Amino acid sequence: MSLRRYFRRRQWDEERVRELEAHLAQETDDNVARGMTPEEARRRAYMKLGNPTIIREEIWKMNSFVSVEDLGRDIRYAFRQLKHSPGFAAIAIVTLALGIGVNTAIFSVANGLLFSSLHIRQESRVIEVGWRQKGLSWQPTLSLPEFRALESQTGDVFSDVVADQYGLDGLSMEGAKPARTFTDYVSGNYFEGLGVQPLLGRVFTSTEGMTPGADPVMVLSYGYWKEHFAGDPAVIGRRVMLDSNPMTIIGVTPQGYRGLNTALAVQAFVPLAMIVSIESQPVADWDKEDARGMRVYARLKPGVTEKQASARLAVLARRLATEQPRAEKDTELQPFPIYAGRNAGFDPDNTTGTVAALFLGLAGLVLLLACVNVANLLLVRATVREREMVIRSALGAARFRLIRQMLTESILLALCGGAAGIGLGVWGSDLLGSANLQTDLPLSFNFGFDWHVFAFSSAVAVVAGALVGIVPALRLARANMNLVLREGGRGVAGGGHKFRDALVTIQVGSALVLLIIAGLFTRRLVESEHADLGFDSTRVLTMMMDPGEIGYNDPRARDFYRDLLPRMRAIPGVESATTAVSIPMGLLDQGTDTVTISGYQQPPGQSLPTVDYNVIGTDYFPTLGIPLERGRSFTDADDEKSLYVAIVSEAMAKKFWANQDPVGRQFTMSSDAGHPLQVVGVAKDARYHGLRGAIGPYFYVPFPQHYAQNSLLALELRTGSDPAGMIPEVERAIRDVSPNLPVFEVKTLHQALYSPNGLLLFEVVASLAGIIGTLGLVLAIVGVYGVLSYVVSQRTREIGVRMALGAARGDILKIVYRQGMWIVGIGLVLGLGASYGLVRLLHSMMAVSRGDLVPCLGVSTALAAIAMVACYIPARRAMLVEPMQALRME
Amino acid sequence: MGRSKKEQELLLGTLDMLILRTLVMGPAHGHTIAHVIEHTSEDVLQIEQGSLYPALHRLEDRGWVSSYWGASENNRKARFYKLTAAGRKQLKVETHRWSEMVGAIGRVLTNARRAED
Repeated sequence: MSLRRYFRRRQWDEERVRELEAHLAQETDDNVARGMTPEEARRRAYMKLGNPTIIREEIWKMNSFVSVEDLGRDIRYAFRQLKHSPGFAAIAIVTLALGIGVNTAIFSVANGLLFSSLHIRQESRVIEVGWRQKGLSWQPTLSLPEFRALESQTGDVFSDVVADQYGLDGLSMEGAKPARTFTDYVSGNYFEGLGVQPLLGRVFTSTEGMTPGADPVMVLSYGYWKEHFAGDPAVIGRRVMLDSNPMTIIGVTPQGYRGLNTALAVQAFVPLAMIVSIESQPVADWDKEDARGMRVYARLKPGVTEKQASARLAVLARRLATEQPRAEKDTELQPFPIYAGRNAGFDPDNTTGTVAALFLGLAGLVLLLACVNVANLLLVRATVREREMVIRSALGAARFRLIRQMLTESILLALCGGAAGIGLGVWGSDLLGSANLQTDLPLSFNFGFDWHVFAFSSAVAVVAGALVGIVPALRLARANMNLVLREGGRGVAGGGHKFRDALVTIQVGSALVLLIIAGLFTRRLVESEHADLGFDSTRVLTMMMDPGEIGYNDPRARDFYRDLLPRMRAIPGVESATTAVSIPMGLLDQGTDTVTISGYQQPPGQSLPTVDYNVIGTDYFPTLGIPLERGRSFTDADDEKSLYVAIVSEAMAKKFWANQDPVGRQFTMSSDAGHPLQVVGVAKDARYHGLRGAIGPYFYVPFPQHYAQNSLLALELRTGSDPAGMIPEVERAIRDVSPNLPVFEVKTLHQALYSPNGLLLFEVVASLAGIIGTLGLVLAIVGVYGVLSYVVSQRTREIGVRMALGAARGDILKIVYRQGMWIVGIGLVLGLGASYGLVRLLHSMMAVSRGDLVPCLGVSTALAAIAMVACYIPARRAMLVEPMQALRME
Repeated sequence: MGRSKKEQELLLGTLDMLILRTLVMGPAHGHTIAHVIEHTSEDVLQIEQGSLYPALHRLEDRGWVSSYWGASENNRKARFYKLTAAGRKQLKVETHRWSEMVGAIGRVLTNARRAED
C-alpha cells in the first residue's frame, strides 16, 4: 500500500466499476448466447459475480489506512449518538468529571508535595543524609563538623556534598523598615553541587561560606526578586542590610528554583558561615560537634548505588563515634531519597506520604463509584440499543467493530468527562493551595498543573472510559443474536441483572467506606479541638519579633524586651504579658537539649536524655493558664547574676525524680554546662507539639538568664475580652519602643493552634474526607435509585401479570423492596468489612477506639435509611402499576 | 463472507497461483481468467468470480501482473492483465512450494494408511 495509491483510490475505484461492469456484460452476453432471456442472463451474471459493492469495498480498503479511518468514523458516529441523547451524555460526563476532578485535585497536591521537580540537575542522584542516635528516630539535621567530615571523607561515593541551614532575618534597603526574609545559609559549593545556574549575576563559589563573616554577599530567589525588586536587572551589586549587616546582592536564582523544601520557598541565599555574624552566634557554638542544625545533601558519583553510599556512611559514622565519643556516641548516618525529608521527617510512617496515599485511595474509590454509575447507565443503554446492534451485525458488521464502536463511545464520554474533570481539579487544587495556612512564613504549596498531573488525569480518564465501556461491550458481544430478534425488542433481559446488582452492591460498599473514613477523621478533629492541651487558648494574643533583625545585639535585645513588657501590661484590657521562645504547635523550632540530672540513675548503655524546653518571662504561667503545682514561679530577681533556676513539668518530675520532691534538685543542660539549674517549681503538663500520645518531659528557664541567641521571641498577652480587637493598640505600643521592628505572625493563640503542625492538618484532612464522602454518598444513592427504577420498568409486565393473578399491591412493594434491600444489605456488609481492614491499616495515623463503633454504625444506619428512600420511589411506582395498562403495553 | 476465515486464507494463496498460471498462456481479462480457472480444473474449483478482482488488484500491487485497457473477443472494452517478469518468477516459486507441499501431504497420508493397516 502506498500513499500514491491512497490518494488515487477514488480514480482507481471508478476504474474498478468499469471493469466489473465489463465483466457483467461479458457474462450476460455468454448467458444470452446460451439461450436465456436478457433479464435472466443479467440476474445469473450478478449471482455468479457476487456483490460488486463488496468487491469494490474490499479493493478500496486495500488502498486505505483502514483502522485510522474507521476510528475517525467511529468517533463521528459516537458524537452523533451522544448528541441524540444529551441527557444521558450530560449525566455521564458530569459523573465522570466529578470522579476525575477529585483525583486530579488530590494528585496535584500529592504531586506538588512529593513528586514535583526541585529544578536541580539529576534529582534522582541526589540524596539527603539523615542522622540519628541509635534507637531514636532519624533527624534531617547534622552539625558543621559532621558536614566537614562527610565532605572530606566520602569522596569515593559522593561527587558533591552540600549543606544548608534556614534562618529568619530582616532585609532592608538603607534607612527603610526591614522586611522579614526566609534565608537559606548555604555552603559555597551548594549551587554548583546541585547544578543550579544563576539567572542573573553569579552564585557562590566553593571558597565562599567557610570563614565566619568573610563573604557579605547574597543571592536572591526569583520570586523575591520579582516581588521586592520588581525584577530589576540592576539589582546586581546593590547594597542591602540583612539584620543590620551590610550585604551585596550578587545574583538571582532561576525561576523554578525555590530551595529544596517544596512547601517553604527560600527568599534569599547567603554563604553558610555568614550565619555567625548575621545571627550573632558565637563561633564556638556554631562549630560544635553536636550543634546539629544543617541539612546535608550529597550527589552520588556516577555508577555508585545508594546501597554503597549507605555502607560508606555507616563506616563514617563508626569512625566519628570512636573519634568523638562524647558528641558522636551511637551516631548513625544513612542516605534518604531527597523527597523523603520533604515537609516531613524521615519517620517510616511519614505522614505526608501516608496521607497522600490514603487520599489518592479515597479519590480512587470515588472514581470507582462514578465509573460504576456510568457503566450502569451504559448497560441500560446497551439493552435499549441491543436491537440496533444485532441488526447492524446481521447486515455484516463485524462483532469486534461493534465492540470498538461501543468502546469509542465510552472513551469519548470519559475524555469529555476528563476534560471537565481536569478543569474541576485545577479549580479544586487552587482552592487547596490558597487555603489560609495561618502563617506569615513564605509557606506556599505549589500545586501548579504540570505534565505529571495532566498525564495522570488523562490516563485516569482513558482507564475510566475503558472500564465503563468494556462491560456493556462484552455483554453485547456475547448476546445471542437470534434470541434478541425473537424477543421483539425487549432485549436480553435477565442475564445483566445480576451483574448490575453486583455493581450497585460495590457502590454501596465503597460509599460506606468513604463515609466511615470521613466520619473518623471528623471525629478526630472534634476530639482534638476539645482535647485538654494543658493551657487555656482563649483570649490570648500572640505575635513574634526579632530585634536582631534591626541589628540589636543580645544585651540590647534583652533590654528591649524589658522595656516592652511593662508598656504591654499598661494597655487597658491586657491582663498579663510575657515572652517565650516557643508557642504551642508553633512552626519554629523550640529549644531542645540533652540534660545531666544529678542523682538520676540512668539506665546503662543509654545516652543522655533529650528534653524540650522553653525560655519564658515571669508572667508566662498565668498568661497561658498553666497551673503551677508546687514551688514558685520565676521573678525579676532570677537574672544572670543570681542562681540559675528552672521549672519542670509534671512529666519530667515523674520521670527523673519519681516519688521525690523535685524542688531543690539540680540538673545541667549540655549547651550550658557551666550553669547547673536548680528546680524551683513544678508546672502542670502542657502540649507543645502533637495532639495525641503521652506528653513528654519539659522544662522552663527564665529569659534573663538565657537571653543569648534568643532574640527571636513570641510576645504573648492574656486579654480581658476579644484579643483580636487589641492588635492595633499593641502594634502601636511596639512601634513606640522601636519604630522599625517588624512584627509578624500576629494572631490569637486559638488561631495559632490551627498551624500546619497543629490542628490544620486534621482540619484539612477532615473536610477533604467529608467532601469525598458526600460525593460517594450521592453517587451511591443515584446508583441504587437508577437500578431499581430500571428494574421496575423492565418488570412492569410481570408485575401486571402478578396483579392480574391476584397479587396484592403490598406484595409487589415487598418484592421490589426485597431486591433493593438485598443489594444494599450485602453492600453494607462488604463496606463494613473493607472499612475494618482499612482502619486497621491506618491505625498509625488515627488510633481507633471503641467509641468509634458508634459513628460507624450510625453511618451505616444512615446509609441504609437513605437507600431505603431511594428504593421506595421505584417500589411505589411498581405498586401503582395498573395491571390492564401493563398488559396492553406489549 | 460465506466461507470461514481459514478457508479464505488457504484459498488466497491458491487463487494467486491459479491466476498467475492462467496468465502464462498470454494476457487475459477478468472474465476469461475466471472461466479458464473453472474449466481447467474441470469445475472442481468453483471460485466466486467476484473474489478474483481483489486478488488481481493485490497481484498488480505486488508487481507480478500489469494491466491495460483493450478490446475483448466480442469487441467490448475490457481490462487485460499480463504476467510480468517478477510474476513469472513468483509462479515458479509458488509452483515449487505447492508441489513440495502436495508431496509432503501425500507422504504423510501414505504413512498414515500404512499405520492403519
